Amino acid sequence: MKTKFRDRITFYLNGRLEEVGAEHARMMLADYLREAKRLTGTKIVCAEGDCGACSVLRLQPQFSKSKRQGRFLAINSCITTVAQMDGSSLVTVDALAMPSDEAHASNGAKLSPVQKSMMESHGSQCGFCTPGFVVALTGLVEKKLCQGITKGTCTAKEAMNATTGNLCRCTGYQPIIDSATRLDLGECESLNKRFLSKNQQKTLAASRTKPICFKDDRFSFYAPTKLADAAKYLSKNKTARLIGAGTDLGVVHNKGKLKLTHLVSLHLIPELYQIQKSAKTVKVGARVSLSELRVFVQKLVPEFSTFLDLFASPQIKNSATLIGNIGNASPIADTPPFLLTTNTVLHIIGPKGKRKLPFEKFYLGYRKTALKPGELISSIEFEIPRKNSTLKLYKVSQRKDLDISAINAAIHVEWEKSGRPKIDTIKIAFGGVAATPVRVPKTETFLKGKTITGGVHDETLKRAVELIQTEITPLDDLRGSGRFRRVLAQNLFLKFFREELKS
Amino acid sequence: MSGKGLKGLPHDSAHTHVTGQSEYIDDRPRLSTEVDVEILFSPHAKAKIKSIRTEKALAYPGVIAVYTAKDFHLNLWGTIFKDQPLLASTEVNFVGESVAIVVAESREIARKARGLVEVDYEILKPILSIDEAKAQNSYIGVKRGIERGHPTKAMRSAPHQIEGKIVIRGADHFYLESQASIAYPLEGGQIEIHTSSQHPTETQHVVAHGIGLHLKDVTCIVKRMGGGFGGKESQGAPFAAYVGLVAHKLKRPARIVITKDDDMIMTGKRNPFENIYRVGFNDDGRIISLIVDLYSDGGAYADLSTSIMERAMLHSDNAYYIPNMKVEGIVCRTNYHPHTAFRGFGGPKGVATIERVIEEVAHALDKDPLEIRKLNCYRPGFDVTHYDQKVDNNVLPELFQKLEDKSNYQARRLEIEEHNREILQNKDTATKPLLRGLSLTPVKFGISFTTRFLNQANALVIVHRDGSLQVSTGATEMGQGANARIATIVCEELGLPRESVRMMPTATDKNANTSPTAASSGTDLNGSAALLATRKIKERLSIVAAKILQLPEDRWAKNTAGLGTEDEIPTSDVYADPEDPNADSKWETGIATYHGIRFEDEHVYHVDNPDKKIAFYELVNEAYLNRVSLSDYAHYRIPGLSFNKLTGKGDAFLYFTQGVGCNEVTLDLDTGEVKVVRSDILMDLGRPINEGLDVGQVVGAYIQGMGWVTTEKLFYSKNGALLAHAPSTYKIPSVQDTPREFNVELLVNDENRMALRGMKAVGEPPLLLAIGVWTAIHDALKTLEPYQKRYPRMELPATQEEVLRAMYPEQFK
Repeated sequence: MKTKFRDRITFYLNGRLEEVGAEHARMMLADYLREAKRLTGTKIVCAEGDCGACSVLRLQPQFSKSKRQGRFLAINSCITTVAQMDGSSLVTVDALAMPSDEAHASNGAKLSPVQKSMMESHGSQCGFCTPGFVVALTGLVEKKLCQGITKGTCTAKEAMNATTGNLCRCTGYQPIIDSATRLDLGECESLNKRFLSKNQQKTLAASRTKPICFKDDRFSFYAPTKLADAAKYLSKNKTARLIGAGTDLGVVHNKGKLKLTHLVSLHLIPELYQIQKSAKTVKVGARVSLSELRVFVQKLVPEFSTFLDLFASPQIKNSATLIGNIGNASPIADTPPFLLTTNTVLHIIGPKGKRKLPFEKFYLGYRKTALKPGELISSIEFEIPRKNSTLKLYKVSQRKDLDISAINAAIHVEWEKSGRPKIDTIKIAFGGVAATPVRVPKTETFLKGKTITGGVHDETLKRAVELIQTEITPLDDLRGSGRFRRVLAQNLFLKFFREELKS
Repeated sequence: MSGKGLKGLPHDSAHTHVTGQSEYIDDRPRLSTEVDVEILFSPHAKAKIKSIRTEKALAYPGVIAVYTAKDFHLNLWGTIFKDQPLLASTEVNFVGESVAIVVAESREIARKARGLVEVDYEILKPILSIDEAKAQNSYIGVKRGIERGHPTKAMRSAPHQIEGKIVIRGADHFYLESQASIAYPLEGGQIEIHTSSQHPTETQHVVAHGIGLHLKDVTCIVKRMGGGFGGKESQGAPFAAYVGLVAHKLKRPARIVITKDDDMIMTGKRNPFENIYRVGFNDDGRIISLIVDLYSDGGAYADLSTSIMERAMLHSDNAYYIPNMKVEGIVCRTNYHPHTAFRGFGGPKGVATIERVIEEVAHALDKDPLEIRKLNCYRPGFDVTHYDQKVDNNVLPELFQKLEDKSNYQARRLEIEEHNREILQNKDTATKPLLRGLSLTPVKFGISFTTRFLNQANALVIVHRDGSLQVSTGATEMGQGANARIATIVCEELGLPRESVRMMPTATDKNANTSPTAASSGTDLNGSAALLATRKIKERLSIVAAKILQLPEDRWAKNTAGLGTEDEIPTSDVYADPEDPNADSKWETGIATYHGIRFEDEHVYHVDNPDKKIAFYELVNEAYLNRVSLSDYAHYRIPGLSFNKLTGKGDAFLYFTQGVGCNEVTLDLDTGEVKVVRSDILMDLGRPINEGLDVGQVVGAYIQGMGWVTTEKLFYSKNGALLAHAPSTYKIPSVQDTPREFNVELLVNDENRMALRGMKAVGEPPLLLAIGVWTAIHDALKTLEPYQKRYPRMELPATQEEVLRAMYPEQFK
């Protein structure tokens, strides 16, 4: 039995093989890079994945079934454990410059085109955020190169979208945007070529067929290759914690509220990386990143895809999952309103086998779910909105991008066959207005079958607004007052009808 | 608009920044004996400390020591008033006040063990607002005032009067590198401090006094900071004192790098202000009298708040001539973190107040605020401030006119009026109902420290025998590019390429008695000192050059000095005017020429014979062999400062940096969301030494100011604890918040004869142009029904919630 498991994790760091056991696997990746590897280019500022100074590039080779080849994506190294890097290839800012023969005292290495352009555009001032921006923009260039775009440059919009997860307090960003729009893609070399050989890919692929189990006095790590094993392990080990991307757990760990000492990872289970479309639904596996999901639903549910642009940073979305977003039962998570209005079903596996649970029954209270001990969610299946329907998703926060919502909402109407303005059924869900994301059933029942004729001043809508206010219980907190949230809930609801009834 | 196309080389550390090689405090390699330090701070805004028990913490494996107030030789510090304990002993006065420091073998252990220090508090009722402080007469320092004319009498006679109050909130610096220091114990009881600080000299003093050493035994070194913005002017020092104490006691290197959360909780912010204004004006909108009472929240200790208040009073006129004016200010003592310097110091709070006044005057007369601004603007004949300083080289009228044209203000004004009318008519059917607002605001920012003795600097310039240089000044590098500018000044003076100069870390054993790098004056002061030192060397080299250009090469010292066959070239000590860096130079180039010798392209020649050249490194070698000093030191002090703090009169500043900005915003009528859609900025920066870096300062300061006036809200609990203490809850602008259209231009102005090579300081002034974003939000709101009669008085920042509240006041009741 003993030989069945690997007792260490395997990854490449700047092209070199790393095999680490519990002592280092327990560390946050950023700490490991800075302290164990003396790669201090990667910075730690917020330790919560909000500033991007800790960004590194990560490639996870796809399991053989997938046709897509992996590419290097920016992720936050401060909120992920080293253990979670198993099977990946990592590149840090320290390795991006090319070694050069013309080394000069002040110019040690030949800068990569991204670095050169950042320098020439005055893209750095104090320099502390700079490595993170260089990594994020390198991720953008890598994306373009992998798409076969090897000429021209990046657009300002692309640069902005790629750096939404990076904060800079000095430059006002404009010089950084300029640096991206000035670089020549023709001079750029793909990281895949520089840092990941065929042999390395084989090594990683081979490592992924073997489950992992190791521990020392401070840290245990278990990563099975079969789903049933994970459920079995979780039901036997009460202290074990399931970790996906860990973009929430890593933060909680860093802030000292809990310690990640006993982890179970599902990263070696191939089926969890699948997204499947059936006639009516999309089924999303537990390990599918939000970035992948966004691309997958671009045509199927464009509203959801656009919405995924707004929330979280690219670094977070490159690793975080849909299941992670709902699993911690945050009242203000951004995907639940959507899932609450699309007949979503959770596929659950536990010690007693598999079961399905309607998503509406998932939340029991503040940060409390219907998952029983030992149970885990293997996939989420939501319905694709029908033709004769309208789905709108809203999010309001202090700052538009990369901010936790004050309130979010989903409104999903199926119109009568005769079309607008007669409502067949309506589903309305809000986040940030109660202890859990909620639907407003009384309002929904009231609106069923109603025809809205009077625009936003329609008496029916007025009544509905009043009903909504009785069904939500928002609190005052640092993201806004309860009043603020109530006014927003009303305005978003009216906005929906104003826009829909116009067309 | 930035970077390529602008004159000026990249930041002197740009290469190591982009490769990740730039070393910050926590990037320094660890020594095997090094220990980690963490702080236990107060969870209460005001409490008596009844006891501190350290036994449990000390018993935790890996903990080496726990220190409290009694371990300091002098447990007191403070830049202006020494009123703040390094570690609280009998009482705590704000949430985040340091109580004990825990020393451990690792950061993880220190962090864990600090929770084991047991402090028994008796909780007292804190003062948590300016109003409460006023009611309890809780102040720091005394009320000061500046007065001109007959404000009360003139107010009575004014045809129109408005009274109001403006509430201005604080903001966090959000430098990316948190407060950090490392102390190394050296032989003989010396301590070497490496810190992220804008003020190495004060840090040296606080450490030495704290642990009871002479200043000669403490050296403080600052290589660079990961951002400062004022937050490391005074408040870095206690952290250095903590590690200094540990190194002193344990004889082991000690490191402290606090987390972002701890940093935000512990350190002071931009001072909140609540100002009361009364303005009298005539039918045209000309201000006849202005009376302003400024109240700031200083937090629990004095820090720099009284100086900040002074600058606020000196900027309550901003760009406007106000014939009768009285401004008074006093700092309230509360139980928040001691508030401190933040880019602009008091300036933004004074300027926001007068800009609010201007807006109210315009609104009352139903005029465009721009008209009122231009009407009251400093202009020939009306160019003396309320503190009696003449505004020399005043370009405000020109700036207004140029930007009004460039930004197409008048046409956009009409278009926006039309748009808003339409949107309000159709808001029940519009897809995206956005209100638009437009505002063009100026800034006039005084350059110099208002405390006269701080306006001095020194620099050390060393020429090595291969012709390369090391330059050390009191200017600390926090990203602003002071080093790059100073290097450029030195290189251009000696005709050398930029690579010839290495800017050295600021260290108190080379540059002592320095002032903080603050008040936008880093390059002005230290660049002047560096230039003066360079010129001393340059004159000596010129004497040597003049001589050897006449000698055949076989008689040069390189061929004769070993034998002693030639007489040495005598060079006398040179006079360098410590008050005028432009004294010896041609105004057009800024370059001095001595004894007819020109320094160009790494060579020197005599003006009469440009073809005969000597390489710079050869000249340096000849000078050395002639026993001529190749290093020099210079001191510079700003001349002509006469401001008297007690009378509130005199020349407070060497000159003024001026600029204008035109901002257009949209407000979402559904959500209150604010977007800056276009910004046009025109600044007078004199003759920039590095245009690229200067524009970088303009853009960066402006966006930082935009955060302060819009999204950055410090949310405190009702017990005075800051709850927004991380980027997840405290929202500085992100890349997506930058204006969709952003035009920055510099005015051509060759006439700032007061400053080094005609430059103008840039660090702070552009931040104040972001106040125009705040007034533009008001401008948009003014079209709404409730504000036809009364001006929409918003707090600053105008957060999304504030904007929505202003839109639907009845729904927020």
